Amino acid sequence: MSQLANYINAKRESKPILSMTHVVYGYPTVEESLTWMGTLLENGADFIEVQFPFSDPVADGPTIVAACHKALEQTLSVEQCLKDIGQLAKNYPESRLVLMSYLNPMYRYGLDKLVERCAEEGILGLILPDLPYEQAGGLRAACDKHGIDPVWLVTPVTPKDRMAFLASNAQGFLYCVARSGVTGNSNHEGEGAQTELQHYLASIKSDSSAPLGVGFGLRRREQIKELEGHADIAILGSALLDAYNQGGQETGIALFKELFSH
Amino acid sequence: MQSDNGYYGEFGGSYIPEILYSSQQQILNAYEEAKNDPAFIAELKQQWQEYSGRPTPLTFCKNLTEHFGGAQIYLKREDLNHSGAHKMNNVIGQGLLVKRMGKKRVIAETGAGQHGIATALVCARLGLECTIYMGAKDVKRQYPNVFWMEQLGATVVPVTEGSQTLRDALDEALRDWSSTHEDSHYLIGTTCGCAPFPEMVAFFQSVIGEEVKEQSKAQFGRYPDKLYACVGGGSNACGLFLPFVDDKDVEMVGVEAGGKGTKLGEHSIRLSHNLGTPGIAQGFASIFIQDDAGQLQETHSISAGLDYVGVSPIIAHLAKEGRINMTYAMDDEVVDACTLLLKNEGIIPALESSHALAGAFKDAPSMSKDTHIVINLSGRGDKDIFNVAKALQDPTFPDFLNDYLEDYEKDTLIKKTEKEA
Repeated sequence: MSQLANYINAKRESKPILSMTHVVYGYPTVEESLTWMGTLLENGADFIEVQFPFSDPVADGPTIVAACHKALEQTLSVEQCLKDIGQLAKNYPESRLVLMSYLNPMYRYGLDKLVERCAEEGILGLILPDLPYEQAGGLRAACDKHGIDPVWLVTPVTPKDRMAFLASNAQGFLYCVARSGVTGNSNHEGEGAQTELQHYLASIKSDSSAPLGVGFGLRRREQIKELEGHADIAILGSALLDAYNQGGQETGIALFKELFSH
Repeated sequence: MQSDNGYYGEFGGSYIPEILYSSQQQILNAYEEAKNDPAFIAELKQQWQEYSGRPTPLTFCKNLTEHFGGAQIYLKREDLNHSGAHKMNNVIGQGLLVKRMGKKRVIAETGAGQHGIATALVCARLGLECTIYMGAKDVKRQYPNVFWMEQLGATVVPVTEGSQTLRDALDEALRDWSSTHEDSHYLIGTTCGCAPFPEMVAFFQSVIGEEVKEQSKAQFGRYPDKLYACVGGGSNACGLFLPFVDDKDVEMVGVEAGGKGTKLGEHSIRLSHNLGTPGIAQGFASIFIQDDAGQLQETHSISAGLDYVGVSPIIAHLAKEGRINMTYAMDDEVVDACTLLLKNEGIIPALESSHALAGAFKDAPSMSKDTHIVINLSGRGDKDIFNVAKALQDPTFPDFLNDYLEDYEKDTLIKKTEKEA
């Protein structure tokens, strides 16, 4: 079994649901983003999903897009990012860091090298939302070799047979997108199916032995509470960034505690 | 040109968020069925003829041919399509596909606004809801098109993120589609994006080259020796070139936007002179203008329609194979070429198409008199009136604008007073 899945299963014995908090590397500066990750880890975040910014983040909503563009006003390097978050992973062995980005900056860095470096730095999971399973042959091979988990996404509109396929191939955890659209509050008012989340998660669970993480649109305590018993990880992205933008780390931590310290 | 499972050599593919999987599959299947359905093809041809005025002529440029004293110069007159550009060919095709799939709403991105206009026109005709994403910078550059899109009932959304051009409009259209995929079709205007868009748009645009085949035989007894097309996303170039791809004697030249210079941020040259590098973004693998870290970079062109960071995977592949020769034309050369066509042939070309003219005009004088070249005049230039006036520093244009504004305000005031009375 994967290192990430083992970690999740062990931690779940004492917690009804684990937290994954999202931070954009380099926003508003590299230093500040690392301090912010440190604060979240101090406060008991089980995971940090570190987003390495890309100029054209098509799966993200306005909050994260703006943060990525702001971060890219500086020159950011993938290598430095891996070193920086690798250090955090060493400093906080009770938590895990996973790397999220879009394909192009990772492709330019070199996918094989990326996976190898992640393994060296103790970054055990990789989330690339614009890299579908079918196109990821090379990455999957490298991940197998180095014990890194590529995290696949499923959505409420994923067809049944594809869902079963992705769920049975899930490693580390399966990222269950809670609704149609992009991350956070969207400019686009989707008419997407109001899928019954618990029913959706139950159907995934029947196909997957991997833990389930749920993200997109989570911002209230009730939502997290409702996931307990149905998922293993609640992923907090845009809502945390909105809070952070509003009142800095203090407001961000207040939201994190409100959602997870129970 | 048939793709290999969405790929053209190393380019193409489908790199899209998982949420779009089902919608993409639906388009793949609908397109495969439609292109093999004689009733669909018949309807397509009828709409092209009745609504857009196809076939467009192949016009011999007697004066320019004499002016240069070399190659026999012909123009494929895509500017004579309804809406004034080749964009209509694709939009009519995808519009019929939207009806076939039973979707009610269309999303599109636009650069110069030609694709946006064509989309808004077809949506009005087919009774579809229409949202157009356009970079805020392009909204400013091409306001007349924005005005008409809105008059046609479309919602135009200016995209203020990133570089505020076509690439950002494409990102935002993809985000909309991620939210609304169940009812909406993303009507991509060029031969880019995830499969099957490059292949499908090229299929609908290939009517251009197919007509040139017949017309060249009828008008000068054989296929042209050399074809020229401007290359932004690549749709008009694919349309002219692909039907000739297996006719090895027909040379092909793609002309990119050289802008103001070859420094990063001053041009939109992806393929010629290796200014672009391989990348995977906006749903497909191709050549992009990017930095070493894989961040897409700003581009420039006097023509909004060529101001794009990526390029069709089909064109990237054929350029790599050496089947298409890529070159570029600078902003000032483009304005000169535009003026030359105006004065000699009485045709007003779009600034996009003027790149193809500039590329061809450089070669024409040194070509022998028995060579025949065909330049794709992809669009008409009426939309560029403000930009061309500025580029030519027309002395009376500002007076016209001032007078217009004065009159406009007076008129508004009178209407307001009448209303209140």
